[in-house]
Amino acid sequence: MIHMLIALAIFGITYLMIMTEWINKMTAALLGGFLVIVFHIVEQEKAFMAVDWNVIFLLIGMMMVMAVLKETGIFQYTAIKTAKLAKASPLRIMLFMFAVTAIISAFLDNVTTVMILVPIALLIAGELKIDPIPFIITMAIASNIGGTATMIGDPPNILIGSATDYTFMDFIYHLTPIVALITISSLGITYLLYRKGIRVSNENKARLMEYREENLIKNRKLLHRSLIVVFLMLSAFMLQDRLNLEIAPIAMVSGLILLILNNRKRVDKVLVNDIDWATIFFFIGLFMIVESLIETGFIGLISDQIIRLSGSNIKAASLIILWFSGFFSAIIDNVPFVTTMIPLIKDIGTHFSREAMHPVWWALSLGACLGGNGTLIGASANIVSVGIAHRNGYVIKFSDFTKIGVIYTLNSLILSSLYIWIRYF
Amino acid sequence: MYLASFLDARDICIEQRVLSKQQVYQMLVDRICAHHQLPSCGTKLLELILQREEEAPVAYASGIAIPHIRMEGFEDTVVAMAFLQNPIDYEGTKISWIVLIITDKTSSKTYLNIVAALLKLSKDSEAMANLAAAHDGHSVVHRLKEMAVMVKKDLFISDIMIVDPVSIQPGATLKELNTLMSQYGIAGLPVVDQNLNYLGEVNILDLLKVGIPDYLMMLDNLNFLMSFEPLEKLFENENEIKVSEIMSRDEIYLRPEASIIEAVFEMILHKKRYMSVVKEGKLVGLVTAMDVLRKVITA
Repeated sequence: MIHMLIALAIFGITYLMIMTEWINKMTAALLGGFLVIVFHIVEQEKAFMAVDWNVIFLLIGMMMVMAVLKETGIFQYTAIKTAKLAKASPLRIMLFMFAVTAIISAFLDNVTTVMILVPIALLIAGELKIDPIPFIITMAIASNIGGTATMIGDPPNILIGSATDYTFMDFIYHLTPIVALITISSLGITYLLYRKGIRVSNENKARLMEYREENLIKNRKLLHRSLIVVFLMLSAFMLQDRLNLEIAPIAMVSGLILLILNNRKRVDKVLVNDIDWATIFFFIGLFMIVESLIETGFIGLISDQIIRLSGSNIKAASLIILWFSGFFSAIIDNVPFVTTMIPLIKDIGTHFSREAMHPVWWALSLGACLGGNGTLIGASANIVSVGIAHRNGYVIKFSDFTKIGVIYTLNSLILSSLYIWIRYF
Repeated sequence: MYLASFLDARDICIEQRVLSKQQVYQMLVDRICAHHQLPSCGTKLLELILQREEEAPVAYASGIAIPHIRMEGFEDTVVAMAFLQNPIDYEGTKISWIVLIITDKTSSKTYLNIVAALLKLSKDSEAMANLAAAHDGHSVVHRLKEMAVMVKKDLFISDIMIVDPVSIQPGATLKELNTLMSQYGIAGLPVVDQNLNYLGEVNILDLLKVGIPDYLMMLDNLNFLMSFEPLEKLFENENEIKVSEIMSRDEIYLRPEASIIEAVFEMILHKKRYMSVVKEGKLVGLVTAMDVLRKVITA
């Protein structure tokens, strides 16, 4: 009992630190992770075993893939090409960029996506002499929506995919349809919100149309090779079942091959600049802390309560988890939230069949990923986008973001509820 | 070490005649060659001296000229001097004391310290009057010994730094900074308060960066931009933005007593081509990588 209280205290304080960022997120998680060992709540061996190496190596592998792919210039090329295809009309650019951001974000980490695309949006808005803030807000939102579509798009999905026996294809089968629907309806919302009031002179349009985006592809050979490797990687992800492999080794092998293809001598640079070690250690710390809640029986206790209260009604449980996750991840980082929820849902799952648990897992994923749009601090992509805007002299206040974000979030969560209701019950 | 210890009375002459520069050099060369084994001598040595003088001026405002030759395989330092009662005109500077120094290729430290001692001496009018009153070489050496003129053993940053360098205050506008930089042809300068307390530095890249929006710096390259109007913001706001907004407040500077090797080490480590020299919080000088090259390596 005393162990459970200490574990809860460490967990609670760590959560508080992560929420408030009084100390660095990674430091807080890792400190909490090692404190549970120091207090003998979890023995070291057990705590280390709790780290999901499949998640860790998937993250590292994908970071390597993206480091090389980013260097080819393909993402900036795509963004500028998109703006030109929109014939430099601001509303059309905003809609096209929303779609492109969502699609890129389905395969890339959300933060990476906005770090590549938001500067381009600022550049384009600057050239067209229009306010970039709507672009920045909608792109952050699009990245959070797009990320929900695949297993590798957003950390909650990576965590869920690794903890369960769902494959890459299962995510596409269960999540991509609803995310596509949400994206389309969000485009509608964007149209309604911004259809009026943006005028651009022809001269400013012409400047944008004169961009030579083909110059961004500096090394065509590297681009072609990289795209082949990425294509093979995605194929392997889809054939995960037949290959009988977890997803991490596929990502790692692809990442390492790309590093070799790129430039052997620059591996050090990738290790220093492109592998986000803070995120990796953040995950490691969280796994260790959550293990202490499992070890001390706290998770089991809660899951028993939930089953008792919901009277084994999976439908109600799914919808509650969807909205609860949505609400929670609007106010805190969704990674620690999902890391905690996974063992809880697993525990509940022991009382039901695998099929019966489908809606619960997808509700967790949809709620945790899409809820991030609820407020400015709901997702890292929001914070990073607003940060970039701020450094360029555009201040986006908490309320500015949130009043737009809430509209998209409510739309997403309502559609998700209907989807779960209709498809699984 | 005493300066006098480097001297041989036979290499010193007091000259009353009206002579040309070449004639004085010829005379000094003859004296040196008479009793030193040099790798090259006579006309050849004279030519070397004149050639060297073409590359780097030798005259100083205090009335001393110090022609200098570094010889491969000559492991010694020889100093010869002439006191001229009829000064020679060195492109506008009246020179009444010519000191010829011949050193080995490697011993720039000794040479620089001798030069430092000579320069200090040439600015001391009392000492100069005393020396000029000497009637022969022996008497010059004797007087220098009496005055205890020293040659330092080590070379410090304070010996090669620019004293009282151009600096700017944090409240200055970018326009003023811009003007100072182009006027003096300098790419960076120390920032100080009105009491010369060192605050940091500002360089030309800090200035130019004002003209580039932050979002452009986040892109991989800008080769797709054909007609971006560059640096608009810089020109628009150069009267409003203050140096304090763009300066770096790093604490990387040198003490005046720092060694040359320490300065070079710091420059390479921090990829800086100039360093402020700060003593007790106050800016006292500036040393550039070019100073090290010119005054130490190729001196």
